Amino acid sequence: MSLILLEDISKIYRVGDQEIRALDGVSLRVEEGEFVSIIGPSGSGKSTLMHLLGCLDTPTSGRMEVCGNDLSHASQDELAIVRNREIGFVFQSFNLLSRLDVVSNVELPLIYGGVPAAARRARARQAATDVGLGDRLSNRPAQLSGGQCQRVAIARALVNNPRIIFGDEPTGNLDSETGNMILRVFEDLNAAGKTIILVTHDPAIAARSQRIIEIRDGHIVRGQQP
Amino acid sequence: MSFLVAFQIGLREILSHKFRSFLSMLGIVLGVSSLIATMALTRGIEEGTRVFMQQLGGLELVSVVGKEPSRLMYDFANLSPGRTVRDAVAIRRSAGLISHVSPEIAFTTVVARENGGGAERRSVRGVYADHFVIGMHEIAHGRFLTPLDGEMGTRCAVIGSTIASELWPETPPTDIVGRIILIGGSPFQIVGLLTRYEREEDALARRARKPLQSRRWDPFRSKNQSVLIPFSTMFHEFRSGAFPEDSMDSLRLDVLALRVGDLNHFRAALEQVRAVLDTTHRGVDDFDLETREDWFDRVESSVRAARLSGGLISAISLIVGGIGIMNIMLASISERVREIGIRLAVGARPRDIFWQILVESMLISLIGGMLGILASLGLIEILKLISPTENIPILTAGSIVFSVAFAVVAGLMSGLYPATKASRLNPISALRYE
Repeated sequence: MSLILLEDISKIYRVGDQEIRALDGVSLRVEEGEFVSIIGPSGSGKSTLMHLLGCLDTPTSGRMEVCGNDLSHASQDELAIVRNREIGFVFQSFNLLSRLDVVSNVELPLIYGGVPAAARRARARQAATDVGLGDRLSNRPAQLSGGQCQRVAIARALVNNPRIIFGDEPTGNLDSETGNMILRVFEDLNAAGKTIILVTHDPAIAARSQRIIEIRDGHIVRGQQP
Repeated sequence: MSFLVAFQIGLREILSHKFRSFLSMLGIVLGVSSLIATMALTRGIEEGTRVFMQQLGGLELVSVVGKEPSRLMYDFANLSPGRTVRDAVAIRRSAGLISHVSPEIAFTTVVARENGGGAERRSVRGVYADHFVIGMHEIAHGRFLTPLDGEMGTRCAVIGSTIASELWPETPPTDIVGRIILIGGSPFQIVGLLTRYEREEDALARRARKPLQSRRWDPFRSKNQSVLIPFSTMFHEFRSGAFPEDSMDSLRLDVLALRVGDLNHFRAALEQVRAVLDTTHRGVDDFDLETREDWFDRVESSVRAARLSGGLISAISLIVGGIGIMNIMLASISERVREIGIRLAVGARPRDIFWQILVESMLISLIGGMLGILASLGLIEILKLISPTENIPILTAGSIVFSVAFAVVAGLMSGLYPATKASRLNPISALRYE
């Protein structure tokens, strides 16, 4: 069974009395353990697809399953639970909480997963150490470099041990060397069995994935099937 | 997400904006402190009144007072002998629910030492032995007048502490008993000295050897100036002879005070007295029964009014404080849209965000309430200093709990809207928010 299954998905936004079909009858499968990238020009529906795959939104019509959960008509609460358990996000702009130190940032998903405090701290510390930030545990994001911030974000994405790691232009704010390092982390995670979905506009980055999904004008034009 | 986590997040948020948090608490601080102070103040007035009332005879005391008969009875008014000793005797005999009856006649005459020194016109009262109970008297030295004194018409007197210290300023109170006093020229032996009646704060001031604050009205003045002699002695010595047909029984009384034996049968006791007096007054309604209850009710309703208005003002300031919190919370969530987006992205449910904001605003009001308690302690100390009456404010645990609970409820109410607003944020747009 596919880890992610989209069947004839449409997403329609209404702006005034104008209808915008951001996604128009899209079908897509992603299997467990895959490393896929999604490319497409802006306005192609790439972001909308990303939001659906990341369980941040529900489709207007069609069937959507993520990790065995039918989310076609899911409520915000159901989406939140799937996000919390199955998906780790790594954003272009890191999206760390500036007032919290590294450990507190990393433990955030565990708080909403209902993990008891002591276990939470231990797991967060472990996850941060795993990405090479063992000596930065009580630093705040402002005291870290971009690469380190992105590692914190990766540690946060991994701390709940999700099946899917989602990268939204994760190297966009980094120099090429640091970006390369982060990409290698993703490759290592993939080798360890995680499903990786990268959203990017950089063909060179996309080329490092096993499958490129290209989207144009609300339709997937390449890489629909594994 | 557990309550504890929301609590920690809220506390961290409050601590990271100390000054802003303090400003948003200020309304609550003022509201809680003024509410507690108002309640302490009215409680003090209530307590002061209660103690005062008890010292003056308590609720059990009933006075029979004279009044104009109604128009219907006007032509028959002369049939009634008025309030006389007969009334007292009849009440004692027939009104079983009345435990003590004290008829009194007061008159003014010269009171002096045995050698005629210190002569001054003073109020002297002829009383029955029951007066000791009804007037809530306490004997410091010697004894009170007894029924035997009344029967024998002995020339003995019980005097108040002010009289004693004015007549014999140098003599210790123990030596007063046994001395001779001239009342209207006739010698009386002092058999008892009453306790010095004073308010607690005056007693404290006296013990601390501070000057007494004479500007204050002293409710015990007349009690301390008592000169009490047996009723019968008073009659034979000062009232008989002018009109030979006068008998002691038909003497018109100045005061006819009664004490109800059991407050549970207060109404029934009043009915008994009324029935007896209707007979002795031959149906003329030239008397009325005055109870402390009416007075107590009046005091109580004015205390209630004071409490209500003070409470209302405090409640308004608490509500204003709540609105202040709401303002700050609204400003703070629009500052934290991105944070909320991040929390949503990592799996916070809308209700988690809702609770986080709600707990934070409750926490602000709770801390404000705690500060308010501290402020109220200071406020009450100031009130104690400037309070012009004996009604010292009394701080009760109940008022503290009530005020803080009110503050937390105000915080809860004011957090509802911001919390709802925050929890409805869309994760996608919240994450994009700059």
